[in-house]
This record gives sequence, C-alpha cells and structure tokens, in this order.
Amino acid sequence: MTDAHDDNNDRRQFLKTAGGAAVGVAASGLALTQTQGARAKTEQGSEDTNEPKVQYGMVIDLRRCIGCQACSVACKAEADVPLGVNRSWVEYTEKGQYPNTGRSFLPRLCNQCSEPDCVRVCPTGATYKRPQDGIVVVDQGVCIGCLYCALACPYGARFLNPVTRFADKCDFCIHRVSKGLVPSCVNTCQGRARVFGDINDPNSEIHKLLAKNPVSVLREHIGTDPNVFYIGLDSTDEQTKQPGQYVRVTTHKGPQKKRG
Amino acid sequence: MDHHFMWSWPIYWYLFLAGVGAGAMAVSALIYIRGPGGNYGKHYYTIAKYGALIGPLPIIIGTGFLIFELGRPYRAFNIMTSNFWYKGFNESPMNFGGWLLFVVGAVGAFYALTFFDWEKILGEKPGALLVKWSDSIRKPLAGAIAPLGIATAIYTAMLLGAMPARPLWNTPVLWMLFTVSAFSTGIAAIMLANRIFHKSDGDAEQDGQFHNSSYWLTMSDVILISTELVVIALFFMFAYVTVLDASFAIQILLPGGELAPLFWTGVIFIGLLFPLVFESFFVIRTKKNGGHFHVPYLFEIAMPLAVLVGGFILRYVIVIGGQLTGPVGL
Repeated sequence: MTDAHDDNNDRRQFLKTAGGAAVGVAASGLALTQTQGARAKTEQGSEDTNEPKVQYGMVIDLRRCIGCQACSVACKAEADVPLGVNRSWVEYTEKGQYPNTGRSFLPRLCNQCSEPDCVRVCPTGATYKRPQDGIVVVDQGVCIGCLYCALACPYGARFLNPVTRFADKCDFCIHRVSKGLVPSCVNTCQGRARVFGDINDPNSEIHKLLAKNPVSVLREHIGTDPNVFYIGLDSTDEQTKQPGQYVRVTTHKGPQKKRG
Repeated sequence: MDHHFMWSWPIYWYLFLAGVGAGAMAVSALIYIRGPGGNYGKHYYTIAKYGALIGPLPIIIGTGFLIFELGRPYRAFNIMTSNFWYKGFNESPMNFGGWLLFVVGAVGAFYALTFFDWEKILGEKPGALLVKWSDSIRKPLAGAIAPLGIATAIYTAMLLGAMPARPLWNTPVLWMLFTVSAFSTGIAAIMLANRIFHKSDGDAEQDGQFHNSSYWLTMSDVILISTELVVIALFFMFAYVTVLDASFAIQILLPGGELAPLFWTGVIFIGLLFPLVFESFFVIRTKKNGGHFHVPYLFEIAMPLAVLVGGFILRYVIVIGGQLTGPVGL
C-alpha cells in the first residue's frame, strides 16, 4: 500500500512540476491503464481533491447472493436498529412469465459515496466523510434530525431513528472496522457474497476484485460516486421495464415499499 | 398511500406561510418606498401597513412548524451555529436559510412595529416619542425588507431544489414558480385585509382611494397569476421534454398521475383560472368604462381566498409529489 502511494505522489509531483497539457494528458492516460476498473476516474483526479488515503468499500457478488437476509438480521442486531427501519436490507426482483422466470437479489446499504449528497445538504455539518477511512458518519451530538440528508440520498439509505430521533444509516460497522474486523453483514454472509476492504490498497482482496471483474454501482447518473460495487447487477426495475414484461420488486425496507 | 413521508404537514404549511409572509412584506416595502407618488396615491400607507402587519406572523409561525418537525427541536439553533463561527456558511441551503429566516423574522417584526398606533396603545406622551422613532426608521427598514422578502420567497424553493435525488424539485423553474406564487399569495392576503378592514364612512374621497387601491392590487394579481400559469407550463415542459428521472417524476402531475386530480382542480382551476377570469373581467371592465372599480363583496373575498387556497395546494402537491417520486432504475 505504501509503495503505491509513494508511486502516486511521485506522479503527482511530476505532474505539478512538468505542467503542460500534452504531458498531463499522456500521464493521465498512463494512470488509467495502470489502475484499471471503476476507481480509475477518481485516482486520476485525486491530485486536487482531498480524497482519503484509505477508502473502505464493499464489493457484493450478486452471483453468490441467495437472498437469505442474514446480513439484514446481523445488521439489526449489531447496530440495535429499531423496528420499522433498516440500515441494511435485501431487495427481491421477480421477472418473466412461467416457465421463463427469474428472481434476483440486491443487498442494499449506505454506499459511502465519494461525493455524498447527504453531506452537501447537511446544515449543521453533523454528517461528514471521515478523512481517515472514507466512511460517511453522522455525529449524534450535532444532528438535529431535519431529514434533509435522508431526502437527498438517492439510495434511500438514511432514516430518522425513531428511538434516538437523529438521522441514522449504515456506517460500515465503524466500531468493528476500527478494530480491524469486517462489518457484521460481511462476517455473516452465508454465500461469501460480500467483500470488504480498502479499495485504494492494491494488495487488498477488494482492489483485486474491482480490477478483475466487470462491476457496476447504483444510480451512477446522480454523480455521487458510490463505494459499494456490485458484480452481476440486474438493472430490471418496475418503472423502467419493457412493455408487457412482468416485474415485481419487494424491497423489505420497512414502511417504504417503492425503491428510491 | 403506502408511503412514508419524511417531510409532511409542517413543511408544506411552512412553505405556504413563508411564501405569503415574504410576498406580503416585500410588496408592502416596495409600495412604501414608492410613496404617495405611485399608483396607490394617498392610500399607499394603508396598503403598506396591511402588508407589514401580515408579513412577519406567518413567517414566524412557519419557522415554528419547521422547528417542530425536527427530530430534535431543542437543537434547532445548530442549523445556524454549529459550524458557522469557524467555517462560515456551508453548502447547505438550510444553513443559509436559517439565518435568512432569523433575520427576516426580526427585521419584519420591527418593520411591523413601526406601523403600530403607539399613541393609542401607550398614551400621548411616550407614544409620541415612539411614533417619531417609527417614522424615522420605517424607510430604511422597508429598504431592507424588500430584498429580504424576495430572498425568503426564493429560498422556500431553494430548500427543495438542492437535491438531485428528488427530480421533481431539482429544477430552477421551481424557484420561479414559488417566487411568483409567494408574491401572488402575498398580494391576495393584502387584498383580503384591504377589503375586510375597510369601513366606509361616506367620505367619497376615501372610498375612491379604497377602490383605486383594490383596482391596482387586483391588476397586479392578474399579472402575477398569468405569469404563474406560464411558469407552470415551463415547469411541465422542462420535465416532459427531457429523459429519465424528471420525465418519470412529472407523470405524477400529468393526467392519470396520483396527484393530478388535486393539482388540476386545486391549483389550476381554483387557485389560478377562477381568480384570473373574474379578476380580469372586473379590471378590464373598469379600464374600459372608467369610473370606480366596483366588485361585489362576495367576489372581493372569494378571489383572494381562492388564490391563497391554490397557493397552499401547490405547496402540498409539490412537497408530497417530490417524495413519492425519485430517481428511476437502479
């Protein structure tokens, strides 16, 4: 990891000193080829942003997900999430007509975005992206529970905790992660579909998975730059289905039946 | 509706009340600054007084609703102060809006106080002093209120518009729509007050001034309602001609949508077309035939009331519709 960062720093230094559009284009082309996969864009642009050195992320291999909801249950127990709301849930998508039918699963959680809209709209600064590990957290001592963040989140990952009355969401089990453990949902996943780690560390399993596999993120067009990636994502949705196609989505999210 | 609303009645009541208050205040300040030389003649002071007295109360009540809606109401001042002293304004419109509402409420309240009849309230001697002070600070306060009122009207839509994840709100046309609607409802509130509190004592000159002022108020309302119809058309076209999120979101207001019946009857017919048709009829009749602006009492009450009801339903439909819709696909 350290080597890679020194490498990066050298490259940045070189870019700064060399200047010039042609050199810049050539060097960024080099950067692109060296760091394949979804993070290439951010790596390239990171010289002028305060992109965290460690960015925790998650890859969910949907080919291995069996929709057992063990992650939802583990999350509920670990974070003591009250009834009616969820930090983590699994959506079921059923489609097709008998005998050609299929069902796919989509585990959901906070995407710990690199450009989080929730942080942008928070009036108090209670929610922020931690510089040391890139996890988006809510400061319970400052949050006023206005729910601006919950409405601004394109993934519906935030809610008002009915017990504590502040905005709540998945925090990658920050208490476990800071002690070197993996989040509870990763720990419990029956199909080993979830992989957690530092996506900036070239030796991590998640970095290799991202480099070698076709991955996608949710609602990329909103521009939030999520750090939760899916392998084998089926984008079938009730709203955007083909005419005549049968699609039914069950979100298991709580009071909100629709996606988004 | 099996939907869980994060922002419900406090928010749309606030948006409506702040719009009415801001509109009434700004109109009052502008009329006061123009003075007796304008269209309202000597009646300008009365109209400015109605606007000034109507203004701050809805804004303060609406802000109270906002605070009530918070998960932790007693922490409300965090909106303004939690990072202001060492970082300044942050990117959140709510941070800026908190300060704006605070300032507008305070300045608006002072502006309203300058219109009080202090000699009647406190007695001759202390009252006379206050009246002297009021007269000297009223104009600078009006100068501050006019831009502050317009900013408050815009801010109500800015609050909703800052979120790409809510495609129905995330359009600058909404800013225009809410601003025009704020002015229209503000003028409607002044019209109502002007009608209700006018007592004819047989003085022909005073009655003439009253009729003249209600003529110009109605005329302004006609212009604002027409503008609002154009802006609503823009609001629809903007979403309808594009692809993805916004085009899906607007379906909820188009015929067949979940909120379409309420929107088309409540906002378009009751709130805009009904007052527009009758107000233009009376205005055009006066303009053509000359003479006094004469409107039956019932219509003079019903027209501004319809504008106010329409303004409220507009806020309701937008707030609820924005939460029922979201980005499409995965």
